[in-house]
Amino acid sequence: MINAIKMTTTTSLYDQFIALYREKEKVQDNRWLTSIRDTAFESFSEKGFPTTKMEEWRFTNVAPFLKEDFRLQPGGTSSLLRQNIIPSLDAYEIVLKNGMLNEDVSIPGVKVTPLRTALKNDDLKTYLGKHTPLKKNPFAALNTAFFENGIVIETEKNAIGDKPLHITHVYYAEEAVFIQPRILVIAHRGSKIEIVESVTVIGDKPLFVNSVTECYVAENAQVDQYNLQIAPANAHLVHFNQVVQQGNSLYNNYNYILPDAALVRNNLHLDLNGSNTESHLFGLYLAGNQQLTDIHTTVNHLFPNCFSNELYKGVLLDNSRSVFSGRIYVAQDAQKTNAFQQNNNILLSNKAIVDSKPQLEIFADDVKCSHGSTVGSINKEALFYLHTRGIGEIAARNLMVQAFAFDVTNKIQIPAVREYIEKRIIHKMAEAYD
Amino acid sequence: MAKNSADILEEYSDKEYEYGFVTDIEMDIAPKGLNEDIIRFISAKKGEPQWLLEWRLKGYEAFLKQPDPHWQNFEFPQIDFQDISYYAAPRTKAKYKDMNEVDPELIATFEKLGIPLSEQKILAGVAVDAVFDSVSVATTFQETLKEHGIIFSSVSKAVQEHPELIQKYLGSVVPYSDNKFAALNSAVFSDGSFVYIPKGVRCPMELSTYFRINSGNTGQFERTLIIADEGSYVSYLEGCTAPKRDENQMHAAVVELVALENAEIKYSTVQNWYPGDKDGKGGIYNFVTKRGVCRGANAKISWTQVETGSAITWKYPSVILRGDHSSGEFYSVAVTKNKQIADTGTKMFHIGKGTKSRIISKGISAGEGQNSYRGLVNVGSKAENARNFTQCDSLLIGDRCGAHTFPYIESKNRTATIEHEATTSKIGEDQIFYLNQRGIDTEKAVALIVNGYAKEVLNQLPMEFAVEAQKLLSITLEGSVG
Repeated sequence: MINAIKMTTTTSLYDQFIALYREKEKVQDNRWLTSIRDTAFESFSEKGFPTTKMEEWRFTNVAPFLKEDFRLQPGGTSSLLRQNIIPSLDAYEIVLKNGMLNEDVSIPGVKVTPLRTALKNDDLKTYLGKHTPLKKNPFAALNTAFFENGIVIETEKNAIGDKPLHITHVYYAEEAVFIQPRILVIAHRGSKIEIVESVTVIGDKPLFVNSVTECYVAENAQVDQYNLQIAPANAHLVHFNQVVQQGNSLYNNYNYILPDAALVRNNLHLDLNGSNTESHLFGLYLAGNQQLTDIHTTVNHLFPNCFSNELYKGVLLDNSRSVFSGRIYVAQDAQKTNAFQQNNNILLSNKAIVDSKPQLEIFADDVKCSHGSTVGSINKEALFYLHTRGIGEIAARNLMVQAFAFDVTNKIQIPAVREYIEKRIIHKMAEAYD
Repeated sequence: MAKNSADILEEYSDKEYEYGFVTDIEMDIAPKGLNEDIIRFISAKKGEPQWLLEWRLKGYEAFLKQPDPHWQNFEFPQIDFQDISYYAAPRTKAKYKDMNEVDPELIATFEKLGIPLSEQKILAGVAVDAVFDSVSVATTFQETLKEHGIIFSSVSKAVQEHPELIQKYLGSVVPYSDNKFAALNSAVFSDGSFVYIPKGVRCPMELSTYFRINSGNTGQFERTLIIADEGSYVSYLEGCTAPKRDENQMHAAVVELVALENAEIKYSTVQNWYPGDKDGKGGIYNFVTKRGVCRGANAKISWTQVETGSAITWKYPSVILRGDHSSGEFYSVAVTKNKQIADTGTKMFHIGKGTKSRIISKGISAGEGQNSYRGLVNVGSKAENARNFTQCDSLLIGDRCGAHTFPYIESKNRTATIEHEATTSKIGEDQIFYLNQRGIDTEKAVALIVNGYAKEVLNQLPMEFAVEAQKLLSITLEGSVG
């Protein structure tokens, strides 16, 4: 019975999208874009929103989050907001309001264009939606069918960024909204760029963000992406990040999830499309309250001599629930692959649940691949050691959690970001034991 | 001039199955096809009570309802369930007391397999319940076991003699609706072994059954039920070889283990069924549901398996750790070569307090073999201080094979500690070089390394089996390594 009710409410949002697509004016789009959208829409309309029957979503039921009567395609807003949530971060600031860029930004060596403007350029068709597996990802397909707002970040050849780019996503949730931003990053040959993304939410009505980022790292280029997902409890963030690396490139992803966003679901897909690439994926999820965090990563080793390293750490408090699913795929041609993956979890509450699913799929023989996964609590002996040194229960626990998180926080290359994240962890942990 | 490694590789990886032969005995075969009448036929043939027939029919109903599995990472072969004969039994119905009465051809088959029944009595401490196709034809050492009050017989015999135990425990661990193949087994199971160890009895010998699929086109549907009452101990061995066939044969067995308080069950398998020829033609489909439950406190169930045969192996011996401080173990070596597929692993459900589990899985892939570990460690919210350690290693030999790991880890208790690690690699050239340098040729060096690699699991096997398992590993593997 309960299922039946869920079905109808999910269907209703689904129906709204179906109807919306039919009405939508497509005159603005180029022919190639229309065809991409049509394919994506077809795939979404076939599958609908994911259910727990899909392997990729078996631990995460999105149906309860989709019951709201969302406004589907809110435009940007003109109300001005200048707010830097990461103190002392020296960066080129970009503010996206509901995914929309209002002000021009000029950054040496980097072209930042609103998506609508950039779409007039036919060159984008070699990038946009080219690698993202839409068939298997209904949310990414939905975004592709509907996105209106977003930006394109394109570096010049051999341009080395002097400062990071900081994108602040400002979402206005004075009414229930469903927002679908799209970001395309193209790092041309030999360039280097650091991108930091953070979230600010104004208003306390349900907010559902279904975003897709596509990142192309050309030969000898380097891209560092920082994704800081710290938002209030009314936020639901579903994010798909497709990365394509060409030969000799370097890609680093840093993902930090802290309370209170009710739902955070990330898909991070790496296609290693050339030899001698290097990729590092670091993540921390500190989940509290009723939070549900769900991280799915896929690293596709398609060419020989590539290196990938992945480390995700989780701390679970209260009634939170976390899912980690990491997949390393090594194709038959990808000899001499080195691929490592590790996921460690600390459960600090008996009501918290953790699911970990590290996977290896290997078709080449001359490889070194390993993965490890642990779930446990704070080491009692270490705790005792600290007690004997006169450190109290709470302080000792917090110290242990900080030390646990250190493995991923010390990877952050931008001092201001690192300081910000470390402070948030200390703050959250202090709160947790009050 | 010594053969170069490529030659050795070719010679051995092409090596065909050594135990492929067919024994000619008149079979009592049911017509092909699956329907209610066949189930009634099997049930009537065995003179079963009404409740068992009804249970079979429920299993059949569940089988019809379940869709084909779709989650595996290999292509699922289309199986025509109507093209299988579900009952085959040697025609002679007489019970043998004396070995001389047994069909000489049957004895010859066992001798070719290296398990001469006539010698089994002399061989120390092994009672053999030989399952030839589906019906038990000879049971030895019954007298010794009887002294201890141990029941070791075929399931059909147990249905007649101990209906209360069968009715109480059959399907209590693997319900008829568990999965498609368990449902099929429930509906048409032909026979199998039944073991009951009474309270406080330590079974004085290793119990063992040899399975052998003999008649072409006859799927074997074994059902094994082992009950270890409070404080008892039993070690059970299961080993298989099958004759060569060109058509795929399906084997969907169910094994249920019940360990009560302080009881321990050790279940060991060596599986060497016909894997198909080097193009993957023929070969057995081995879809087995094995599960044990630790019902009482401090109970222990240990699974050990050496899997070298079958075209497709699909089995997950699992343990439900319900009693407080109970423990489960899973040790596995799976070898695939040519076009074999092995998808195996375990499920450990931690329900009781202080439950422990240990999983050691060693996969070896050669040729075009695909080897997957698929497992689940689930810690419930009441499993205080539960502990799990999982290690799954894969060894790749050749550039067209695959090794995959799909573990699921779920914890609902903060005092639980779960560890999982997996590695995939090939045999180190430095290791081989080191051994070469000591005058050990490459082939032997590889055998040495592989045996060392699998040692942790082979060590778990009882003596009698360890020898056979090592022999099997060398036949299957030694040479397919370059």
